[in-house]
Amino acid sequence: MPELHPLQPEATWTALVTTDADWDEADPALLAAMFHQLVLVRAFEEYVLELAAAGLVHGPAHSSIGQEGGAVGSVLALAPGDEINGSHRGHHQFLAKALQHVAPKGFDLTAELPDEIRTVLLRTLAEICGLARGFSHGRGGSMHLQWKQAGAMGTNAIVGGGVPLAAGFAWAGRQAGTDAVAVTYFGDGAANIGSTLETFNLAAAWRLPVCFFVENNQYAVSTSVAEATGEPRLSARGPGFGIASWRVDGMDPLAVHLAMREAVAHMREGRGPTLVEADTYRYFHQNGPFPGSAFRYRSKQEEAQWRARDPIELLAGHMIRRGLLTEAARDASVAGAKSAMEAAGEMLLEPKPGGKPGERRIRPAEWPDPAFVDVGVRGDLSEFDGARPGGDDVAVHEVKFIDAVAEVMRRRMTADDRIVVMGEDVHRLSGGTNGATKGLKDAFPDRILGTPISENAFTGLAGGIALDGRFRPVVEFMYADFMWVAADQLFNQVGKARHMFGGDGPVPLVLRSKVATGSGYGSQHSMDPAGVFATAPGWRIVAPSTPYDYVGLMNAALRCEDPVVVIEHVDLYNSTGPGPVDDYDYHLPVGRAAVRRGGEAVTVVAYLSMVAEALAAVAESGVDAEVIDLRWLDRASLDWETLGASVRKTNRVLIVEQGPVGTSYGGWLSDEIQRRLFDWLDAPIMRVTGGEASPSISKVLERAAYARREEVAEALRRAGEA
Amino acid sequence: MASLLRMPEIAANMIEAVLNEWPVAENATFAAGDPIATVETDKAVVDVPAESAGVLVRCLIEPGKAVSVGAPMAVLAAPGEVIDDVDALVRRLVGGPPATADEPTPAGAREVTQNAEPASATTHARIFASPLARRLAREHNLRVEDLRGSGPNGRIVRDDIRQALAARSDEPAPAAAARPRYDEIPHTRMRRAIATRLSAAARETPVFTIRGSARVDALLALRGELNASAGVKVSVNDLIVAAAARAHAAIPDMNVVWTEEAVRRYHDVDLSVAVATEHGLVTPVVRGAQRLTLSGLAEVSAGLVGRARQGKLRQDELEGGTLTVTNLGVYGTEEFSAVINPPQAAILAVGAARPEAVVVDGAPAVATVLRVTLSVDHRPVDGALAARWMAHFLGLLEAPIRILV
Ligand SMILES: Cc1ncc(C[n+]2csc(CCOP(=O)(O)OP(=O)(O)O)c2C)c(N)n1
Ligand SMILES: [Mg+2]
Repeated sequence: MPELHPLQPEATWTALVTTDADWDEADPALLAAMFHQLVLVRAFEEYVLELAAAGLVHGPAHSSIGQEGGAVGSVLALAPGDEINGSHRGHHQFLAKALQHVAPKGFDLTAELPDEIRTVLLRTLAEICGLARGFSHGRGGSMHLQWKQAGAMGTNAIVGGGVPLAAGFAWAGRQAGTDAVAVTYFGDGAANIGSTLETFNLAAAWRLPVCFFVENNQYAVSTSVAEATGEPRLSARGPGFGIASWRVDGMDPLAVHLAMREAVAHMREGRGPTLVEADTYRYFHQNGPFPGSAFRYRSKQEEAQWRARDPIELLAGHMIRRGLLTEAARDASVAGAKSAMEAAGEMLLEPKPGGKPGERRIRPAEWPDPAFVDVGVRGDLSEFDGARPGGDDVAVHEVKFIDAVAEVMRRRMTADDRIVVMGEDVHRLSGGTNGATKGLKDAFPDRILGTPISENAFTGLAGGIALDGRFRPVVEFMYADFMWVAADQLFNQVGKARHMFGGDGPVPLVLRSKVATGSGYGSQHSMDPAGVFATAPGWRIVAPSTPYDYVGLMNAALRCEDPVVVIEHVDLYNSTGPGPVDDYDYHLPVGRAAVRRGGEAVTVVAYLSMVAEALAAVAESGVDAEVIDLRWLDRASLDWETLGASVRKTNRVLIVEQGPVGTSYGGWLSDEIQRRLFDWLDAPIMRVTGGEASPSISKVLERAAYARREEVAEALRRAGEA
Repeated sequence: MASLLRMPEIAANMIEAVLNEWPVAENATFAAGDPIATVETDKAVVDVPAESAGVLVRCLIEPGKAVSVGAPMAVLAAPGEVIDDVDALVRRLVGGPPATADEPTPAGAREVTQNAEPASATTHARIFASPLARRLAREHNLRVEDLRGSGPNGRIVRDDIRQALAARSDEPAPAAAARPRYDEIPHTRMRRAIATRLSAAARETPVFTIRGSARVDALLALRGELNASAGVKVSVNDLIVAAAARAHAAIPDMNVVWTEEAVRRYHDVDLSVAVATEHGLVTPVVRGAQRLTLSGLAEVSAGLVGRARQGKLRQDELEGGTLTVTNLGVYGTEEFSAVINPPQAAILAVGAARPEAVVVDGAPAVATVLRVTLSVDHRPVDGALAARWMAHFLGLLEAPIRILV
């Protein structure tokens, strides 16, 4: 019979409950600030539902009515410089943070409201209605509210998608030497998704000052918490990850505030992340102006019980009891909030011409100009003004590719202490699995970060760093295939952030992604990511084929204010080629390809390791091909000048790449070429790709699955015949 | 299997064409490749070849009707196919009564009164040629139909065009000593169209001309003033066109065309402006010219001229109008007369503004003089009317401020 010893997690797990004594002791100024924020947020949300009912909000209006206590109570425990983000249900948190920013000393709804507050109301309402004067010019709407100056870093429509980003805000605040904290708000449903759980782990491992604030409103759409998890006390998850956790009644704004004060102190003291679970309730359904009971997943009685514990009633009751508020002042505050909302609505709405009495429409001038649709998918590249391009003045000699990789990063990290590198094992093994970060951990111990295996979390963390803007993250993927496990962060978050939040917020993130085709790692480790990244607006793509190019393209990527994926190939790492003797500061300009061989017969378009393969194939075949090394692969950075001139000369195109046809890069390119250069083509555009399946482990099957020089030579032969 | 013969798209962007003739009678058989319909566009008369052998069961369109592209024209059957109820078959295939002559829209067939000029026949079979080869052929006036393709599927590729061009320049060479005494410039479609239209006009229209001249110093000064201030640049020709438009508005009996049944007097003044392009003369129409301000007219006409030069005018921009203004002033031509552009009633030929000796108050003086010749279709317009018009028009040129108001 073994002995059984009960074990305890290290981290604490506490329920915090207020007493009347706490209410009696609470600072009157704090209670007043809470009261006015709560009333104003409630009035805002009621007004939004009114507009939604009138069909004036396009898309869902996720109301926070009932949940305001959690947001207001917690935000009032924060300081300027602290950063928050949230989920699809984020109006209340956004407003609390924005109001706190413009009126740090609070405000009084019975008096005339200052312009700054009116502007916050107006711009938030405009954003929710999709209008030009919104914070993101109407692009983001209800689910993407961002006002970085106020520390509101952007709400998120992917459940759990914002959580890793917040870890990045926390990292940036700490690295900058401040004691700032980050708070990420999410729901009970989001407590189950990988992004969130991965981030619990990463944040705890790195002791990041981030608070995971769970608004447990009992439902994810219509699914109850008990149905969705074996431990419905969601704060129980924290201790398992080593995170100090609190559970608190979210209908009690003072309780939330006191718990949050403890959590914030914990984080500011450098003791790592915290988790606060606020039990609360949304009075309405997932979205729109109807109660949840109307949809049958809960009862009217349940709703009535929760409404009886309304946070505003509770707070007003205590304030009246303490003589801090009169009933008349309470009612006047509610009326003041309501009229402030009507004034905001007045600016955006007008009577509908020919409509029914009282029917309104958006004032036409408030809509964004449709021409704005694609503006700001990427930045304007003005960051390259004054940058020094490479050229004949850069002395070159033969160098090993991988050494140039490590060396340019060393050079940039020395010159720019904003740069931080993260990835699996980048801090060990003498420069990670391939030597790309060789010697860097010793030189920059706090900026070379070996991560837990959680691509989604650490990519998101890097995304958060990029959005914060004080540092420039470089993420390494051990294999390109792992992009799929980080896909939400790469494509929904990092790739879309600039455009979705209005077009002018930089997202300077570099992703180094390795292609290992031919190395025997099989179906899940052999991908070329170029084709998939090329479909994602926002991303720029570079694919260096020589050490010289690597240095120049990495320097460009690190300077760029857009996310850039730098694709690397294992075949190149140990190759040698021309590289700089000692100049690691030049950059290769965005959108400039290289003609590696001039020719008349056909234009061969290649990138990465396939450039050398193509050149060898051309030499073998005797076809007078022109070989173009694209260098920049994305839609916005492709060198149409060079490519166009070549096609106009040769009238034939062969696009060569190594990987499978399904995720291949050349598809969109050939489409674009025929669109732009149709009248210059004398033959269908030819392509070399791998087969359909991803390469297998077996050496012969692997070789049969991808393309190299032999396949290019064969295609050139066919091109010659045709 | 019975099938429908539909109006083929003979030229790119063609909307409709006229069914000219049925070379095969109803119930007659035909072999693959036999012409089974003759259709006419404003550019060509084309035999539509049968794709396979068969029987012409029913003609749905009467000769002379315009039919939109893709609309059914006839019901065909396979050789030997027995059809019990032709009407039922037609209903099934066409889905309703066939398009009739009274349907006014281009979706159906309609009466066509005006015959376009015939041109050589082409067939509709697809000829494989690379996009580049097609463009080069176009630029060098080669017909892909005349070439043989050496590419895959017999596709005509760049090298075939190069060879054809080389052969073309080689051709005379074998004849060595006898150097050709002329170059043959193959007719472009445009040149053919110009030729056909204008010779028809010259044959059918009784024309008289009247001349006039105006002192235009004031007009030139006004133009200088306008261009110093206005955003839109106004040319001398714009002023002349504007004056003609005002004259037409003042004397509406000039704003006419002749038709067999009646003289058609238009409410709006639509004037054509002759534009010389690389490929020949085109005459785009400025519509409602009497309503346009001078700068508006200048803008419209600059747009038309620009697009004419790029060959981008639409067919509808070339149709209509009662008067063309043609101006050879830039070439220094003193005076000339021009051929009326049917069915318009007149054409105004404008020479260069040149200094000439004139008599002012009984004494010789130098003035800038512009000479114009108006050629007029005598059928709708008599000489006295044209003379009145000319006097009004010249008056406007000499007191140009009236053009502006
Ligand atoms: C990854 C993802 N899956 C599903 C959805 C659709 N969805 C939006 S909100 C929501 C419920 C979220 O519940 P919870 O996290 O509890 O937040 P609440 O709506 O209760 O505030 C779902 C399923 C989504 N936006 N993202
Ligand atoms: Mg929920």
